[in-house]
Amino acid sequence: MSLFLAFLLILSASGILIAKRPVYAALSFLGTLMLLAVHYLLLSAEFIAVMQILVYAGAILVLFIFVMMLFQDAYAEIHKAVAQSSKVLICFAASAFVVGVGFVLTRVSQIPTHFSAPLTEGFGQARALGKALYIDFFFPFEAVLLLFLVGIVGAVYIGKRTPEK
Amino acid sequence: MSLSLLIILSFALFTIGLIGVLTKRNVLVFFLSIEMILNSANLLFIAFAREWGNMTGHVWVFFVLVLAAVEAAVGFAIVIHIFRSKRIVDIDQINLLKG
Repeated sequence: MSLFLAFLLILSASGILIAKRPVYAALSFLGTLMLLAVHYLLLSAEFIAVMQILVYAGAILVLFIFVMMLFQDAYAEIHKAVAQSSKVLICFAASAFVVGVGFVLTRVSQIPTHFSAPLTEGFGQARALGKALYIDFFFPFEAVLLLFLVGIVGAVYIGKRTPEK
Repeated sequence: MSLSLLIILSFALFTIGLIGVLTKRNVLVFFLSIEMILNSANLLFIAFAREWGNMTGHVWVFFVLVLAAVEAAVGFAIVIHIFRSKRIVDIDQINLLKG
């Protein structure tokens, strides 16, 4: 079952690479997000799974599709030609992946096969996350809020400027 | 659902995102690939939070979600600005900072 889910996840993620048009890439990204949310649910992270759907599929992906529609060439095909230097980099990325997987497989006997840690009451639910955010991580939380504010102000400022022709 | 499978899955998502960043020239697909890399990190955070029964990983996933939203907003503001002035979405043609 988990192997099947993992296979589906990798399949929908590679859809981003093989999609001919940006809109199809976005739809395949949506499938990836849903499957990731299923994984989070199985790992008893209910609140994060819901946030994943709300924030990624509900806000970020809508922004993507909105920008694609704005560009009017959302249905235009993606350039197929890949530069020679990119091919070298792809080989590098693929070999890094193989090395990483090999590293995990050589240590697979030391990695526990089942999750054995006892879960605290309400693990992964909104109350526990809220407690962690407001008590243990209060300063990083406020810093992230500041980052959010700066990001929104910056986005509005860049968006409002009329470009010089 | 075992931890080693999740680690390999996270590596695979990261590699897919990395290949997308290295090869795609459409700026929107480029952004999608960056989001994929962020998601691979999130999966690893959640997996290890479950492994150790500790909520700290969830907190960092929350921060990464906020970061992704901010990154998308600012990135799209820049992309739309460039598109309005130059009518291009191909990142190879955006070379304003080239010396």
